[in-house]
Amino acid sequence: MKKSFVAGVGLAALVALPAAMAAAQAGTPWLHVRVEEAKKASKVRVNLPLTVVEAALKSMPEMIEEHGRLHLGKHHQLKMADLRRVWKELAAVGDAELVTVESEDENVKVMRKGDILQVFVDKKARAGKDGKEEGAEQVRVEVPVSLVDALLSSEGDEVNIQAAVAELQKRRGDIVRVQDDDSHVRVWIDEQNTQPSGK
Amino acid sequence: MAKLAVILGIPIALLATVASLGVVVVDVREGGPDGQRIVVPVPLVLAQAALAVAPSVAPMDELRIPDREALRHMGFAREVLQALADGPDGELVRVEERDEVVVVTKEGRSLRVKVSGHRENVSVNVPLHLALQALPGEDGRIRTTALAGALSGLRFTDLVDVEDGDDHVRVWVW
Repeated sequence: MKKSFVAGVGLAALVALPAAMAAAQAGTPWLHVRVEEAKKASKVRVNLPLTVVEAALKSMPEMIEEHGRLHLGKHHQLKMADLRRVWKELAAVGDAELVTVESEDENVKVMRKGDILQVFVDKKARAGKDGKEEGAEQVRVEVPVSLVDALLSSEGDEVNIQAAVAELQKRRGDIVRVQDDDSHVRVWIDEQNTQPSGK
Repeated sequence: MAKLAVILGIPIALLATVASLGVVVVDVREGGPDGQRIVVPVPLVLAQAALAVAPSVAPMDELRIPDREALRHMGFAREVLQALADGPDGELVRVEERDEVVVVTKEGRSLRVKVSGHRENVSVNVPLHLALQALPGEDGRIRTTALAGALSGLRFTDLVDVEDGDDHVRVWVW
């Protein structure tokens, strides 16, 4: 009786183990990056478990933040304290179109819609040398408000990477999409360890 | 008869012992099936012994990474490699271009890099535990003893496979 019970438990474990492993695998969030350039006929796909992204960010915080300043391009620097203050004020406003810039070259819109902060940049096409229009660029960035909250949740001159990664663990779906006349970039999170062949 | 058995038995036993501890085999074929073939077996124990005695033979500075800038990134490399080793399997990178495809996958505790082109195919297997042991410590020193220990975990592993037209190079640990 005892032997057959042990054998039964062993058999059940053998049957259940692959299913349990598959379930554990399925629950792991993966960060995906896809870059496609039509002219070069090149496709780059990167899939990383979020645990690896977390380890990379934790061990190299200077990559994203140095001396308490976020570097926005070559010449613009923003103090973390200022950013935190601005973000706090924006949070109080609720859903709104926060920034609208319309110029000859591009239109920029920053808005908050529910739990998402949206940044739209539409760069206008210009006539090229051969008369064809070129240079059009469309950038769509959707950042969960909770992610920004998490990033800015620390005190002083640091961004809270740990809280941000914890927030990303819960997030599924697109984070960034950039489309211009030649290339397409997409960054998203799901629980697949590979990327579908389509866009 | 007994003497002959002893005389033959000792080297055979020695060979068997060395083989049982692992052998790195470098297999080079040139010019297709009818071409030249060179097979070089290197007992793993030799490489381990060389690594183990390296600190007492080579000056300390020779076993140290001198570049401080590179050393700054070792912690980062270690953390990422460890996270990769502990993480789930999957295709990490795929780069498709007109005439070449590069794929990096994580399989078990190894990173497999495959480059497929029109003419050549390259496959490199990087055991993550070996890569971790090969990284220098915070003082810049390479821990050769630990690296020697990690080599024993390489048994029955294909390390490198390069096919270029009629030429074929394969390195594996038996």
